[in-house]
Amino acid sequence: MSSAISDSFSIYGEQFTSRLLIGSALYPSPAIMADSIVASGAQVVTVSLRRQQSVAAGDDFWQLIKDTGLKILPNTAGCHSVKEAVTLAQMCREVFATDWIKLELIGDEYNLQPDPFALLEATKILLAEGFKVLPYCTDDLVLCQRLADAGCEVLMPWGAPIGTGKGLLNQYNLKTIRERLPNTTLIVDAGLGLPSHACQALELGYDAVLLNSAIAGAGCPVTMSHAFKAAVDAGRFAYRAKAMPEKDVAAPSTPTMGMPFWHQEFGIKNKN
Amino acid sequence: MSYNIAVVGFGLTGRLAALELSLKHNVTVYEAGDEQALDSAGRVAAAMLAPLAESVLCEQDLALLGLDSVARWPSILAQLDDEVFFQQQGSLVVAHQQDKGDLQSFIQRLKPLAGHHGHPLTGSQISELEPELAGRFNQGVYLPCEGQIDNQAFYQASFNTLKQRKVSFKFAQKIDVGCEELKQSFDYIIDCRGLGAKSTVCKLRGVRGEVVRLYAPEVNLTRPVRLMHPRYPIYIAPKPNYQYVIGATEIESQDNGPATVRSTLELLSAAYTVHSGFAEARVLSIQTGLRPAFSDNRPQVTQQQQLISINGLYRHGYLLAPSLVADAVARIN
Repeated sequence: MSSAISDSFSIYGEQFTSRLLIGSALYPSPAIMADSIVASGAQVVTVSLRRQQSVAAGDDFWQLIKDTGLKILPNTAGCHSVKEAVTLAQMCREVFATDWIKLELIGDEYNLQPDPFALLEATKILLAEGFKVLPYCTDDLVLCQRLADAGCEVLMPWGAPIGTGKGLLNQYNLKTIRERLPNTTLIVDAGLGLPSHACQALELGYDAVLLNSAIAGAGCPVTMSHAFKAAVDAGRFAYRAKAMPEKDVAAPSTPTMGMPFWHQEFGIKNKN
Repeated sequence: MSYNIAVVGFGLTGRLAALELSLKHNVTVYEAGDEQALDSAGRVAAAMLAPLAESVLCEQDLALLGLDSVARWPSILAQLDDEVFFQQQGSLVVAHQQDKGDLQSFIQRLKPLAGHHGHPLTGSQISELEPELAGRFNQGVYLPCEGQIDNQAFYQASFNTLKQRKVSFKFAQKIDVGCEELKQSFDYIIDCRGLGAKSTVCKLRGVRGEVVRLYAPEVNLTRPVRLMHPRYPIYIAPKPNYQYVIGATEIESQDNGPATVRSTLELLSAAYTVHSGFAEARVLSIQTGLRPAFSDNRPQVTQQQQLISINGLYRHGYLLAPSLVADAVARIN
């Protein structure tokens, strides 16, 4: 069996072996953030061009992120309109010197649900401008298809609303998207709380997960980061190993040598 | 034995150090600004003394240090010639019904401190403690042992008392704490520059915070109130004469420019959801400050021969400064 190391996935043509993408917000301290990122084994870190933040030389927080040496995925967190998101994406391209953008366009302020209509519109504009768009979207099949049709090579449907830690609320939808878009890189973004949630996403055949609060908000972020790394590996191994089919009737896993067959049949007859 | 001591930086830690040291020693204060020290984080702060609430975010040892500091404040303020408002009647943490998950997670993360712990409250218990919050919240937590002081008054009163004690002041003087002139003239140098030390202290960064000061005669809250909210967690610190400090944003940025509309809206609309009497409040000021912090967000007291530095108090200035200054002063006495 080949190791997880040789198993990679693609984000717009670039290959990655770590299937955990990690966020850079909400940690108890920058030092804990740096340690958590290292422990996660992530190769991609998301950053938001925050309010009032200068990314000029001398900004210590930004320097710390650059020091991780990871691929930077800027996001448009907090944008509510196409115009805002496009402008912020353009600023991010200048500031972070990357054409990658995690496109986040909020439609509902309270549960931070993506606005699917504005998202598709902004995606088309940014793709036309040469951006490599990673849209944060809901788990709606038609929306995902439209985004893929527009030219997105990566889609990031949610597991649950941002920061809720509820896990994969609609596995059926996520599974359908995976089956119907076999050639698109799919990353579950947002809503994960437990390593088992990340494991489930990978078991479903998702290429990776992106998370922040589940690690940053844990009692010990660095330890939780280790846990997620292990869970993502477990899920990926499980997907590649192909799970046994689920059955409704128990089948003994230990051979029942020496047990007379009539005994079981008798039992069944008696029941009837 | 009495020494000649320079205190560099006249913010919160500089003031506390000068107060403590001037009881026994000859103290000279150097400050890059004027006696107001307008750039200091301690001037902008809401000056909450909240070891339990902060234990949610910081390590146990720091929260315990906070408890130790809170106990030191009354005797510090007793030294001053002017009266400074100090209160320790506990604080209240509340959440709106839809945000009870945030309150639950806050309660789970509270660390018990030397016998002090949070007490869950029902709606009617909340209204017993703060009658004007009656009917507004169904759930909350009472944190005993917490309090707050009036930092504006403390800044003024500490300066007045230090003047009385014949402490000499060198304002508008940006001085290199390692320079020969200082080393020659003083037995000890206490570096209290906070973010002013950024160019010489490794890994020190600023964490931006914005606070609003209001005059709200229609609001009668007696204790600090924290609102748990998924995006706009705020606290309301009542000061004398119907003044309230609403704080504070926390942004990883070195930008010390004026507060943004977004931050102002967040702070004020969250405050309004706690008490509608804030609608008619007068906005006295909207201030911005940079909190000095090391990358682990823990404070440091360090000594290199005659130079003692206190820095990195992050969001815990009033909570930790008295104990940290006591640590520094103990190295001299």
